[in-house]
Amino acid sequence: MTLTLIDYLILATYFAFVLGIGFWLRQQVRSSGEFLLSGRSIPLWIAGLSFMAANLGAQEVIGMSASGAKYGIMTAHFYWVGAVPAMIFVGVFMMPFYYGSRARSVPEYLKLRFDEKTRTFNAATFAVMTVFSSGISMYALGRLFQLLLGWSFNACVLLSAGIVLIYIYLGGLTASIYNEVLQFFLIVLGLAPLAVLCAMRVGGWDSLRSKLPAVMTSLWAHTGSASQNPMGVDAFSLLAGLGFVLSFGYWCTDFLLVQRAMAADSMSSARRAPLVAAFPKMIIPFIVILPGIGAMALTAAAGSGYHLPMKESGVYDFDQVFPTLLAQFFPPGMLGVGITALMASFMSGMAGNVTAFNTVWTYDIYETHIRPGAGDQHYLKVGKLATVAGILISIGAAYLATIYNNIMDLLQLVFGFVNAPLFATFLLGMFWKRATGHGAFTGLLAGTAGAALTHGLTIAEGKGAWIAQVHSFPSTMAQNFWIAIVAWTTCFLVTILVSLATRPHSDQQMRGLVWGLTERPDDTARAWHERPAVLAMIVGVVLIALNWYFW
Amino acid sequence: MGLDLRYPIGLMFSIFGLLLTGYGRAFPDARAPLTTVNVNFYAGAVMLLFGVVMLALAQRAKR
Repeated sequence: MTLTLIDYLILATYFAFVLGIGFWLRQQVRSSGEFLLSGRSIPLWIAGLSFMAANLGAQEVIGMSASGAKYGIMTAHFYWVGAVPAMIFVGVFMMPFYYGSRARSVPEYLKLRFDEKTRTFNAATFAVMTVFSSGISMYALGRLFQLLLGWSFNACVLLSAGIVLIYIYLGGLTASIYNEVLQFFLIVLGLAPLAVLCAMRVGGWDSLRSKLPAVMTSLWAHTGSASQNPMGVDAFSLLAGLGFVLSFGYWCTDFLLVQRAMAADSMSSARRAPLVAAFPKMIIPFIVILPGIGAMALTAAAGSGYHLPMKESGVYDFDQVFPTLLAQFFPPGMLGVGITALMASFMSGMAGNVTAFNTVWTYDIYETHIRPGAGDQHYLKVGKLATVAGILISIGAAYLATIYNNIMDLLQLVFGFVNAPLFATFLLGMFWKRATGHGAFTGLLAGTAGAALTHGLTIAEGKGAWIAQVHSFPSTMAQNFWIAIVAWTTCFLVTILVSLATRPHSDQQMRGLVWGLTERPDDTARAWHERPAVLAMIVGVVLIALNWYFW
Repeated sequence: MGLDLRYPIGLMFSIFGLLLTGYGRAFPDARAPLTTVNVNFYAGAVMLLFGVVMLALAQRAKR
């Protein structure tokens, strides 16, 4: 694939706008709060779209189309089971505590609700995870553009890192959020035509279904047992592992996402941001997964002119789905837009991680443990330096990243260890006032250990079982779901047991932090579109309809 | 006050739209292997429309 002048022109225009936004916003950054938290001034629609777009990174576009080709429409479970219910929950039930407590970060909420050690454990693991994810983003970008366009890996990594560094350094979180929204529209307008063209070529949904095995085009019909579908998962592990533990752990507690809603200009906006995000989130599978399924249908149909490339080992190279479709369906011009959209999603994935990292580093690690009580200008400087350091470490991580056959699986594994037990901690912290700091901390440690232990004792596709092999799973995905279920349950039970044996904070100290001791925001007098509960119900109805239609 | 994000979004997509529709008119035969329609022109037209709507919304909010 080669780019022509018009493609480069489009890419250059995008870079100019991204940097321009950073430059424009620089005069608004005068305090650490403005740099790291956007001064809590982001309007609802921007907060909502960036809440969703911050997650729409490399793993999403390439990984989801690859999964679409490999597993079929069941990949949409990552959206319709694995994201949207959690987005409803965080908006309606959890945001009052995050936003209302005036905590500046998710770890800081843990400090207010529990204690210092729980916060530090969360902050440290989160900080490591974000720079690691940012590095993976960079690595994937470098690899892809090297393979696709013959660009140098080093140049890709350094150019993208440089641009991200400049706009965050100048405009802080606001620049990152604004560029995420820009990237969101670029993905929709730039990549939706690919889905449309691909669907037209296949001849529509019914024609697509006739060309593929039934398991590729149904969500739930083949989940009675793990052996019936290529994902190797059953309905229970899907609902409990992905739908509950992993997705709630990610969407409700990951500061990268919650930070975007917490930057909103009011409690009402903060609560509605995840709900606003849920609408495009439900549509994204049609843009990223459908082309993957279409690619398999075209490959299956003789004489379609498209064939998914194979690896040397004779199996399909699923990571090639998206790039090959781009080359086959987009002429010079649109190709530039498609490449730009990919570049944009890589970069904002990186930026999302870096802006979460610099906040957690500055407030939860530096201000807490290294130098408390310094003036705000000092923390602004530290935040900016943390941005530079975060990007440098990510570049290091990019060079360390090793090759996995599917980026998604690797990320799921990391989330399983770190995020899965977390949701139990937050659930108990927010809705059970008897939960204590000692309980939360011990529970988190036990949950993370439980996750590692499960991975060490079970094997799937040759992965895991580094202690001993006591069980084997049909797929790494099933293994990940079960790791999450074990981690969550361990954390939940240990937190309760230890809490009952230790002394809780007084009710006075927990005002605004726990259900029952916090005034519920009363919005019954507002218009329907300003009420989170009403929006949540609309999202719920659409969600059920989608699951029903693709059953 | 700060920056109304609809301006840069509207401006960028208007530019993309003009570039693509212009390119699509100038080179109507620039086709990818598996398509028969003028992808650049139609996709560009949608982007141009989106860009102009965004600019109009931002302009209306300013007044």
